[in-house]
This record gives sequence, structure tokens and C-alpha cells, in this order.
Amino acid sequence: MPVERVSFLVVRLGGSYFALPAAGVRGLLTQAEAGYEQAVTAVGTVYQPVDLVQRLSVAAGLSSPDMRMVLYSTGLIQGAIRVEQVVGLVEVARQDCLPLPLQFQGDERSWFEGMTLYMDLLVLILNPLWALGESPGIATASVWQAEQPIVATPATVCGSC
Amino acid sequence: MLRAARAQQQAQGTKRSWNVVVFSVGGMKFAARTEEVGEVSPWTEAIPVPSRTPFVQAMMKRDNRVMPVYDLAARLSCTVQGSPLLCLVARHLDGPMAICIDADVPSIETVEGTSIRPNDGGDIESLGSVIIGGHEVVILALQRLGRSTQDTVTR
Repeated sequence: MPVERVSFLVVRLGGSYFALPAAGVRGLLTQAEAGYEQAVTAVGTVYQPVDLVQRLSVAAGLSSPDMRMVLYSTGLIQGAIRVEQVVGLVEVARQDCLPLPLQFQGDERSWFEGMTLYMDLLVLILNPLWALGESPGIATASVWQAEQPIVATPATVCGSC
Repeated sequence: MLRAARAQQQAQGTKRSWNVVVFSVGGMKFAARTEEVGEVSPWTEAIPVPSRTPFVQAMMKRDNRVMPVYDLAARLSCTVQGSPLLCLVARHLDGPMAICIDADVPSIETVEGTSIRPNDGGDIESLGSVIIGGHEVVILALQRLGRSTQDTVTR
């Protein structure tokens, strides 16, 4: 039976690694390419800035040369996410996407769709709807209908996995 | 019928005496039932996880397993002592959970069920307290550690 795989863009912010479902990545810009404007316009689409560092309350240095701007779209909304470093585009077996342990009971349950291990790194799978500030109630159905139908089973960790 | 009798005997045995692991956090002694302790091993670096859950702000990787870290020292407003620090894996109801404890190697003690008294402190999940080595030691309820603070947050 073939192993189903899912793709993520893995990025680093502070001491933590995060994964964004690759399907939503529209571009990667350096600081020079992104400029210092609030919003980024690429291929006619305006990407509003998303301050993930502040939203996740992590300490990250975004002034290093490795800083990248990830242009991301959920289908309904677009955002430009500054990250400290882009680790790479990775493929993970769906079965290797694990749910966040139940001991995590706070808001983080809506921040992360799950977690996975990549090259010895613990990678937290971001919920792109939350990351871009969409109202999940409105967006979940339409985005997944458009991009990837999800069957709710115990094995289904998240929309991406 | 035999099975029922055996279960009752076991229950009585449980009441009669408990095996506990005695460990320390920030120099304070605590105990936990051996059934609630998965393992004790050297502490390895925890991986920070953005979180709003009180005292659950990191995870630990062991081989291919990942488990949350419960910051018991922060809950007790103290700092773990000694080197190398140790990792106690609690058999929590929600799954294994790592706790950083002092470098003092834990010991196993047997305590009489009748000597266990309710814990008056009441600010941490416990099964009571007992006198060990002349000191009152709180028996932590590792299976439900953190649940009362989470309840407080969600309430």
C-alpha cells in the first residue's frame, strides 16, 4: 500500500520549528526583495504582513540575513509571514503527523494542527487559517473543499495531514 | 468468584502499603506512586513550544517519541538543583509527560496506607502526604498533574 505523503515548508522562529502546508506557499522573498513596506504585492496580489512572532509570543531575530518573507495564501486570504530561516520544503508520511499531546489545553490547540519529526527536529504544524488570522468557522470548509477534502477520522490529525 | 476475591485482596493490599518513588525538586522532597512513574533518566534539552497552557511550554524527544514537559519547578516557584538533572516520566492520564527533577537520585520507599494523611497544602494535585525520614512528603498525583490549573484557566 503506497504511503501517503504531505508537503510542508519548514521554517524557524526563535528556537522552534514550524511547518506550513506547502500548497499555500506562493513565494519566498529575501529582505531586499520584500522591501520595508507594510504589504507586499506579488503577481498582482497584495499580501498583508502577518506578525507570527508576536502571535506566537516567541523571541526571534528577524534581522539576520537568513530572514525570509513567506508569501502565503489559504485561498481566501493572503499574508506575508516573516520567518527567521527557511529550513526547506519537506515531504512527510501522513502517518508521521501526530496530534499535539492532550496536555496542551490552551489556545495553542487552535494554533497548531499537529506535529511531526523531520531530521531530528520537532516541527509544529501551523494552522494556516489561524496564522493568517482567518475566522476558522468561515474558512475551514471552503478552503478544504477547494484544495483538499478531509475525512474526519481518529487518524486525521489536521487539515494538512 | 475467585477473580473477585483476588481483586479484593489486591485492593486491600493497595490500601495496606504503597511503593513510592521519592525525588526532589528545588530541594523539596516529593513522592509519587511507582505505578505513576514511567522511568527516570538523565535530563536532555527541552524543545520550546509556544503555549498558553500553564507550565506546559515545551516538549522532549526521546528516540522517536515526543512528550510534553511539565515545569513542576516553575509551578512550585523554585529552581531544580544539581547536575546532571534528571527526567522523571510521569504516566499521566493524557499520556507520558516529562518532569525535570533535581540531580539527587530518587529512592523507592514503602509507606503504610494508614500513614497517608490528606495534604493540607491543597495547591497541587496530590494523593496525600506521609512522613518519610522524619519529613512530611507530599505524594503527587502524577496521573492528573496540571489538571487543576487547566481547570482554573478554562473556567
